[in-house]
Amino acid sequence: MPTLRPTLHLDRLGSVIAGLIALALFASPFVTYRANRIVSGEGRLLVDALPPAGALVTIAVVLGVALCAALARKPLVRLAAASLGLCVIFPAVGFSAGFVTPAGNTFARVSPAIGFWLLALAFALLATDALTRLRLGPWGRLAALSIAAGALALLLLSGAWNDLSLMKEYANRAESFWREARQHLWLALGSMGAACLVGLPLGLASHRVPALRNAILQGLGIVQTIPSIALFGILIAPLGYLAANVPLAAALGIRGIGAAPAFIALFLYSLLPVVANTMAGLSQVPADVIEAARGMGLSPRQRLAQIELPLAFPVILAGIRIVLVQNLGLATIAALIGGGGFGTFVFQGIGQTAIDLVLLGAIPTVALSFAAAIILDAIIDLTRRGAA
Amino acid sequence: MIEIEHLSKRYGDNIVVDDVSFTIGEGEIAVVVGTSGAGKSTLLRMINRLVAPSAGRVLIDGQDTTTIPEDELRHRIGYVIQGYGLFPHRTVAENIATVPRLLGWDKKRIATRVEELLDLFQLDPGEFARKFPHQLSGGQQQRVGVARALAAKPALLLMDEPFGSLDPVIRGKAQDDLLAIQRRLGTTIVLVTHDMNEAFHLGDRIAVMDQARLLQYAKPADLLTHPAEAFVEQLVGTAERPFRLLSLMTVQDAMEPGHADGEPITVSATLRDALAQLIWRGRPVLPVADASGAPIGRISVDGILKHGRPLA
Ligand SMILES: Nc1ncnc2c1ncn2[C@@H]1O[C@H](COP(=O)(O)OP(=O)(O)OP(=O)(O)O)[C@@H](O)[C@H]1O
Ligand SMILES: [Mg+2]
Repeated sequence: MPTLRPTLHLDRLGSVIAGLIALALFASPFVTYRANRIVSGEGRLLVDALPPAGALVTIAVVLGVALCAALARKPLVRLAAASLGLCVIFPAVGFSAGFVTPAGNTFARVSPAIGFWLLALAFALLATDALTRLRLGPWGRLAALSIAAGALALLLLSGAWNDLSLMKEYANRAESFWREARQHLWLALGSMGAACLVGLPLGLASHRVPALRNAILQGLGIVQTIPSIALFGILIAPLGYLAANVPLAAALGIRGIGAAPAFIALFLYSLLPVVANTMAGLSQVPADVIEAARGMGLSPRQRLAQIELPLAFPVILAGIRIVLVQNLGLATIAALIGGGGFGTFVFQGIGQTAIDLVLLGAIPTVALSFAAAIILDAIIDLTRRGAA
Repeated sequence: MIEIEHLSKRYGDNIVVDDVSFTIGEGEIAVVVGTSGAGKSTLLRMINRLVAPSAGRVLIDGQDTTTIPEDELRHRIGYVIQGYGLFPHRTVAENIATVPRLLGWDKKRIATRVEELLDLFQLDPGEFARKFPHQLSGGQQQRVGVARALAAKPALLLMDEPFGSLDPVIRGKAQDDLLAIQRRLGTTIVLVTHDMNEAFHLGDRIAVMDQARLLQYAKPADLLTHPAEAFVEQLVGTAERPFRLLSLMTVQDAMEPGHADGEPITVSATLRDALAQLIWRGRPVLPVADASGAPIGRISVDGILKHGRPLA
């Protein structure tokens, strides 16, 4: 007879996460304290970073989450634990900034340190793992994203993070932050839109005319291999010439450096995924479906609009998703040639060795790419109507 | 009536259909058979001009098809292919509504027609109308494919191996259903197949093709008794000939006056089925009954066998 013994089931990923949490909690500083924004700082463990009662509660919660990660099996429980952990450490690090900064000192800077980031990473891992195991549908994933975005907005708007160095950097440049944000989105989305306008017909043409296919794909493939800095360099001469000789171009703000070459570079990088996926999408439409459509008297235009494009759409969207995520990240380098965008803060921060300024540019970029990926994946799922 | 006149198709130096002429009567089923690559599909596709003929012409009810705009012509001709080519992103109802929608029928008329067709093909509209093709079995997909081709009430239906991917049991049922529906609607059908049983089962006339040429176009019985060439004889199968011939005739054709004992055979059974009954029951002769079961004569093994060969 088998012995009935209650066994403790150890979750493998959960154990790793628990280890990560322990490492973060006891061996890594939770925040860094610096006398001003550019000197190097000293780390503070979590016990020293918060008032005793707060530290105790935070440590208790974090350990509880670690236990859940290692032992709990229900995805919902794991998700709840991860969310609770995130809801505690994010306000805690903001609160810690106020606690660590000596009263009345406006030069001192407090930033989240490796311990905080490790905890955030561990909880985020736990949450995404739980979400994957829940197998959420597209709407579920969009809802989860909205909740996360809402929580983040609440955290920032409540002022809980105002004492952190990152938010101080933001407060000093709130106006330029939103201007660069708009510029960043314009560069990424505008070049994507232009790539769709040009890439869709180009993809269609290379699908219909096999002779065009290799030439177009190889040409665009070569563009992909040119490093961005080199591409800017290549673009400076012709754009400068255009600006000098065509008044309309100059009036539109086209110059050898600035937003125009950045926009064009992003546009060129975007073409290959759009063209290649349009072609792939169109060529995976089953031959008998096309034959039947022809046989029933759909005109070439009706066939394209009613049959081929709808069936190719998920694949084309997958190309657009690649472009969007790629552009949101790549737009950062526009700042190298004065094109603006979040890269402005990244390169300024690197110049001034002000790591929090770098983060002010980098974090929104990563968050945007991440959100764009989730949103487009959900849309792709929603458009796979009738697919197996 | 469909008249095919001196139709040829050339790809470069390669002649794929070579000077083919034949006529299909109103409401008839013409079956095109032949080995792979003989040019059957090409011939069929020249009728709805999916392939442009190199020479010759096709007349539908006396009208040259080249005088009708291509799309309009195809709206008037049903087309069913082996894989059916159902649109995967559209529901069964939307698939069936394809041609009526192209013709601009109003919504109500389309909905009525779709329901009518689903009923005709024994697919419950409540259950199937909103399904997607990938949710259907092969047999159901096949029925939707034919229903879609018949949606705008075409007078002519072209079918290229429409039962090719069905298992034998479902295939037999689908053939019987097609026959029943065809008899009811009076649709003229040109059907391409590899399967000789199917050809003899469905065809009012059979066209035999080999290497781009039409070897013979005749009634099934004539094909058996008077094959035009050795190839036709071979294709029909010498071992099967007598049985195919018997399956083309009914008990009516071989009935003798008189009386016999035993369970009667119905007068509408094929001679092949009647012979099978006689063999299985070990009887030289059995009574024949009409549809109501009343005895009207008798049928004998000898009488049947006489019909299994060309009349002297
Ligand atoms: N577009 C084309 N270009 C060149 N050759 C073609 C083309 N279409 C068909 N053929 C050739 O024409 C011949 C007849 O083809 P077809 O499809 O009509 O044969 P089939 O009798 O239907 O054969 P199967 O029974 O295998 O379907 C084949 O040899 C084929 O290779
Ligand atoms: Mg064929």
